Amino acid sequence: MIETKFIGRGGQGAVIASQILAKVFFYMGKYPQCFSVFGGERRGAPVAGFLRVDDKKILLKCEITHPDEIVYMAPDLVDEKEIEATLKPNGLILINNALTDNEFSSLRKFRLALIDALSVSESLGLGATINTAILGAYARANGNVPLEYLEKAIRDTVPAKVDANVKAAMKAYELTKIVS
Amino acid sequence: MKTLLQGNYAVAEAVRLSRVQFVAAYPITPQTPIYERLSDYELEGKLKGVMMRTESEHSAMAACISAALTGVRTFTATASQGIALMHEMLHFASGNRVPVVMCNVNRVVAIPWAFGSDQSDSLSQRDTGWMQFYCEDAQEAVDTVIQAYKIAEQVFFPVMVCIDGFFTSHFLEPIDIPEQEMVDRFLPPPDIPNRFDIKNPAYVGNVVSPEQYMVFRQKSFEDMEKARGVIKRVDDEYREIFGRGYGYLEAVDTEGADVVLATSGAMTSTARVAVQSLKDKGYDVGLLKLRTFRPFPTKEIQEALKGVKKLAVLDRNISIGKEGIWCQELKAALYPLKERPTITNYIAGICGADVSPEMIEEMVINTLKREDAPELPVWVRRDQ
Repeated sequence: MIETKFIGRGGQGAVIASQILAKVFFYMGKYPQCFSVFGGERRGAPVAGFLRVDDKKILLKCEITHPDEIVYMAPDLVDEKEIEATLKPNGLILINNALTDNEFSSLRKFRLALIDALSVSESLGLGATINTAILGAYARANGNVPLEYLEKAIRDTVPAKVDANVKAAMKAYELTKIVS
Repeated sequence: MKTLLQGNYAVAEAVRLSRVQFVAAYPITPQTPIYERLSDYELEGKLKGVMMRTESEHSAMAACISAALTGVRTFTATASQGIALMHEMLHFASGNRVPVVMCNVNRVVAIPWAFGSDQSDSLSQRDTGWMQFYCEDAQEAVDTVIQAYKIAEQVFFPVMVCIDGFFTSHFLEPIDIPEQEMVDRFLPPPDIPNRFDIKNPAYVGNVVSPEQYMVFRQKSFEDMEKARGVIKRVDDEYREIFGRGYGYLEAVDTEGADVVLATSGAMTSTARVAVQSLKDKGYDVGLLKLRTFRPFPTKEIQEALKGVKKLAVLDRNISIGKEGIWCQELKAALYPLKERPTITNYIAGICGADVSPEMIEEMVINTLKREDAPELPVWVRRDQ
C-alpha cells in the first residue's frame, strides 16, 4: 500500500489533484481510497488531500500519519521537521518550487523532485490552478503512472480548458527535476 | 459496475435504483451531497419522482410520512441537529407505521459545534420505534438502503440506515453499484396501502384511552419481533442475487476466543486490520461487528459470544452518566447467560477523532491483561 499526502492552499486544487490521481489508479485496476481533512476550507488556507492505493480493498478508516509520498503544492508550507518526523525512509517529496535546486538540501536523503508548476500552468492560461501540472510532475517522480491514464482521468474530471490541462500535465512531466 | 464514488453519492445511487417516488429533505453537513445529487437526478429526469425542498428536517419527515400514507416510496437524509429537530416526527412515522427510509450520516450534536462522526445523534433516537442499521462502509450502505425498502414495506416500520460522517460519507472508494434490472428483480414496485385521500386531505390523530394506547404499543412491539425474520429473509435473498449480505451482525472467530472486540460502523474496518495483526502475533482474538441496533440481536449476540472470557466494546458515542451505548446493550444481552465475559468499554473516535489499528490493538491487549472490568468506560484519545 502506498500512502500519499497532498498539501496546498485552498484554491490550488490539492483535493482535486488527489481525486484525479485516485481515478488514475482506479483505471489501472487498483483500489484507491481518497479523502481530505474537512473543516474550514477557504481560499488561501492550508488544505490537505490524502490518497491510499493498494492492489486489494483498503480497510483502514483512519488518518495517514506516515506517508510514503508528500506533494507540496505551496512551497512555503514545506516543513522539514514534519517531513523528518513522518515521511517513510526513501519516501518521495515533490515540491512546486520556482527556486533553484540548492534549496531543500537537507531533504536529499529522501527522493526529492521539483517542478515550477505555476509557470507551467500560467503558460497555458490556467492561472494559479496548478493541480494538473503537479500531477504531470508526480507521474514523472513516481515513475509508475502511465501518462495515458493520467490524460484520461484529467479529461474525465476537469470541467473546462481540458486540452490546456492535459498539456500542463505533459509539459510538467518533461520539466520535472529529479534532484535525488 | 464498479464506480469510484464518495459514500454520499453512492447512497443517492441506491435511492435512484430503488425507484423512490418522493424525497423530502433539508441540507446539513455531512449529508448535503446526498441532497445535492438527488436534486441533480431530479433535474436530469433520472429520479422518477418528486423532490421537495423543505424548510426544516421536521417538515421533511412530516412530508415523508404524508407521502408514504398515499402509498408511495419515500426517502430522506439527515444528520446531527437535523435528526434532533426531526425527533417528534420520528415517533409519528413509526406510530403511523409508514415505511419511510432515511439515511442518517452520523455527526456530533452541538454544542460545541463540530462536524465529525459520532453515533450519538441516531443512537439517542433508540426508542422512537424505528429500525436502525449501522453500516461499515459505503458498499454496505448502498446494499442496506435497497434492502431497507424491501424490509420496511413488508413490516411497516420506518428504517434508518446510519453511516459515519466523512469516513463513509466522504471517502472516495470503488463501489459496486448494482444494475437497475437486478434491483428491479429484487425490489418490486411498492405495495403500500393508500391511507390518505388527497382530494379531501385531512389527518386525524384520534385521542385514545390508556387501554387502547397500550394495544397499539404492544402490537408495534410484537410486529417488530416478527420483523426479525423478514430482515434475515431479505438479507439472504439479497446475498443470493448480489453476492453480498451482512446479517444482524458478523462474528469473526468469536466462539470461545480469549478476547473479542465488539464495534460498529466505519471503525469496524480499521478493527479488522488490528485483529489480523494481533492474530499474527499469536493472540486468540475475535471480532464482533454490530450492525442491527433495532431490533436488537440479543440471541445472535449470546450465540456469538459463547465461552468468550473477555470482551472489549469500542463505542463512538457516549451516554453521559452511564457508558457507551452499544456497551450497555451488549451487557443487557449477555446478562441471562450463566457464564459471561468481563467487559471493558472503550470510548474512542468521538467527533471523528482518529482511531488507528495500533490504538485498537492496545485496547484489546489491555482488556486481556485486566483481572476485572473497570467500573467506568476507558477514554482513549490520541493526545493522551
